[in-house]
Amino acid sequence: MECNGCEFIPELYYDEEYQIWVRREDDDTLTVGMTDLSQTIAGKILNVRVRRPGTRRPPGKPVATIESGKWAGPVPNFIDCNIVEGNQEVLDNPTLLNTDPYNAWIARVEALNGPEAALEQLVTGEEARAGYCERAQADDIHCQRNPS
Amino acid sequence: MSGEEHYVDTEEGTVVFIMTSGPSTPTRCATPFYLGSVLASMDVDVHIFFTMEGVRLMERGVADDLVAMEGGKKIIEFIRDAKRAGVKLHVCQPALPGYRIDEQSDIIEEADYVSRASVLADLIVSSDKVITF
Repeated sequence: MECNGCEFIPELYYDEEYQIWVRREDDDTLTVGMTDLSQTIAGKILNVRVRRPGTRRPPGKPVATIESGKWAGPVPNFIDCNIVEGNQEVLDNPTLLNTDPYNAWIARVEALNGPEAALEQLVTGEEARAGYCERAQADDIHCQRNPS
Repeated sequence: MSGEEHYVDTEEGTVVFIMTSGPSTPTRCATPFYLGSVLASMDVDVHIFFTMEGVRLMERGVADDLVAMEGGKKIIEFIRDAKRAGVKLHVCQPALPGYRIDEQSDIIEEADYVSRASVLADLIVSSDKVITF
């Protein structure tokens, strides 16, 4: 499923600006990554730094920092959580965020109030697809997987 | 490399950028916003205080077509990225008349404060680091 060439996965959960996705894992932890929209806006990602595992991150406090050639900023966080781990593959090879954004999770977190309460604040399914497409079209974002 | 460089441990602190560069030196006009965004995303409280020619970056229209390097991103986009990351932008009030910038009508909406020099003085003495561009 896609909009403007930007891949969308309806099973994932998204923030209202479609900057990040969240996936519930079998052990009830949550993995967090960048959407195709976000990786396209960032361009070729050169560095990722994740908050130290064990650190509590309340909503509004980023879980990670991303640097590309033309963009730097936070991986925003909407969940009261503890950092469990960073994805070593992504930390070692950040361009995975560009080439495979929905498999290349950045951080695994544990929601302090449980996964259900965390995911309730996010959008998913058809509602998310509509919002995602609206953002891609409004901002005229055409996704690229191999940015220079 | 041990991999330690991939983890962030910073405690909250305050960093002030004194931005004196402006459109006459565009190559100096992107980095403060980029670095400010990195710091803000590490929980650092970041203030950019525009003074001298730097105030022109906060003048409506000036940053819209300005680039630090040929083919690069517009400076206004760097400014907006910094804002989204949580960087606070101050415009030096005493510098405005010299550039014929009207405080009420000419300043871009991204600016958070029009501040007196005493605000900058307070920021300097209370911050952990001061960086000048």
